[in-house]
Amino acid sequence: MKCGVRFCGGCNPRFDRGEAYEKIRTQLKDEIEFDYAKEDDWYDVILVIGGCTNCCASYDHYRTRRGVVKVYNAEDVDKTIQILKDFE
Amino acid sequence: MLMTGAQYIESLRKLNTRVYLFGEEVKNWVDHPMIRPSIDCVAVTYDLAHKPEYEDLMTAKSHLTGEKVNRFCNIHQSTDDLRKKVKMQRLLGQKTASCFQRCVGMDSFNAVYSTTFEIDQKYGTSYHQNFLNYIKFVQENDLTVDGAMTDPKGDRGLAPSKQRDADLFMHIVERRPDGIVVRGSKAHQTGSINSHEHLIMPTMAMGEDDKDYAVSFAIPSDAEGVYMIYGRQSCDTRKMEPNAKIDVGNFKYGGQEALVVFDDVFIPNDRVFLCGEYEFATMLVERFAGYHRQSYGGCKVGVGDVVIGASALAADYNGASKAAHIKDKLIEMTHLNETLYCCGIACSSEGHATASGNYQIDLLLANVCKQNVTRFPYEIVRLAEDIAGGLMVTMPSERDFNSDLKVGRNGETIGEICNKYFAGSALCTTEERMKVLRFLENISLGSAAVGYRTESLHGAGSPQAQRIMISRQGNIEGKKNLAKDILDIK
Repeated sequence: MKCGVRFCGGCNPRFDRGEAYEKIRTQLKDEIEFDYAKEDDWYDVILVIGGCTNCCASYDHYRTRRGVVKVYNAEDVDKTIQILKDFE
Repeated sequence: MLMTGAQYIESLRKLNTRVYLFGEEVKNWVDHPMIRPSIDCVAVTYDLAHKPEYEDLMTAKSHLTGEKVNRFCNIHQSTDDLRKKVKMQRLLGQKTASCFQRCVGMDSFNAVYSTTFEIDQKYGTSYHQNFLNYIKFVQENDLTVDGAMTDPKGDRGLAPSKQRDADLFMHIVERRPDGIVVRGSKAHQTGSINSHEHLIMPTMAMGEDDKDYAVSFAIPSDAEGVYMIYGRQSCDTRKMEPNAKIDVGNFKYGGQEALVVFDDVFIPNDRVFLCGEYEFATMLVERFAGYHRQSYGGCKVGVGDVVIGASALAADYNGASKAAHIKDKLIEMTHLNETLYCCGIACSSEGHATASGNYQIDLLLANVCKQNVTRFPYEIVRLAEDIAGGLMVTMPSERDFNSDLKVGRNGETIGEICNKYFAGSALCTTEERMKVLRFLENISLGSAAVGYRTESLHGAGSPQAQRIMISRQGNIEGKKNLAKDILDIK
């Protein structure tokens, strides 16, 4: 499965988005191929990592077969890992 | 093409910008210790655009070319663009704790874009096409442009054309078939030396007698006849002292202002965006001022975030963080800071499309934003100074903290004495405590106070300018009708 990653712009993050991404990527590296989302590519899922509940990252211009998963607080990182696993 | 910070700095070296400081021409201004921190600050606006974790705010898709551009070169196409602009500015304020100078250009692009469209609609001129060509050039080359509005103004009670010295407002001195020649200067120009180009705008509403003063154009920083005289800042020469890195406060970044002089400078026609259509000066000024007043709801908030963080660290290092009054002061600082952000987001969210298609902020809310910015940073730094304590302004120099000169009965050095007597809590070394206190000194009354305090007061218009706009936009007659309606008064 291919996952495109999009960060919000990080104007005032409530948690370390880079660390959160690293945890998700490390735990799922055998199952999912992660890459920063590009406009011309197709992805099975887009993962949006927002720094706060506003989660204002733009992602409509990316192409996905199965949908978008958003995470915007540290407490939900583990749940996000499970959601991505279930996409498989 | 998006430049990196290093490429931007190298691009400045190729310019032949004339810069004067302390009565002398500065040949290598890129590496001058007083100027370099402000260049490094602008460089951050380039570097962050390459990082995936900031790209969504730092970049946009140009509606003119479809290419990714730095948001500082973007023409806003939606309220989402307006909000992201403010968020980008907050981000940069957090990363630099300084004025990062590139906003004035972005705000002038958007004001000139929509105003030229409407001038052309009325007069059949080609200013908008001139500007489209110019902004594409800026976007393709990822340039930093100084948006220059403020004339020295001379006698504030007299119109531009009535001044004793005609040059106190920028004006046209000659019209040629291929362009115009202008003379005058622009004062308080933020980041002007660090800019590739300048975009000139009139500074106030104009009448028919002021036609030659109603002028807007773009020119490279090193055009013949253009030169800049650097503005002094409080404690600026600390940046030139040896072994005084910590004493500077913010030793990485800084701001910059200069007087930019136009000594009979030729402007080709294709770079002219307003030339005598005096009634449009008001529109251009109001729109630019509106965007720039919106900007402060982002940039000063980001710097405020760092001030709050440094104040909290100072409390930790002083061993005072558990005190109820310290917590309350940090709450108050946060409240004030986020109120400014509320204003920045509100005027963005309530934005609308202009006739040209680009988006303008809500003028009333933008002026409310800036009016609050003229006050709250002063209270925020007052609380920061309160938390930091008097040591902020009485500490010995860094050289004393590092001195090995023996002065004590048992051979203690000055450095050892300073480190002993200025130790704080076990959470920090004395040097770390000193760094935080010097940072707060710098932002409260050193060189960074220029960007955080006085610029908050006067930048984008002094307080009275916002009150005039609030009065114009406040719809008092409509509000009277609301009261009459409730009270059954016809």
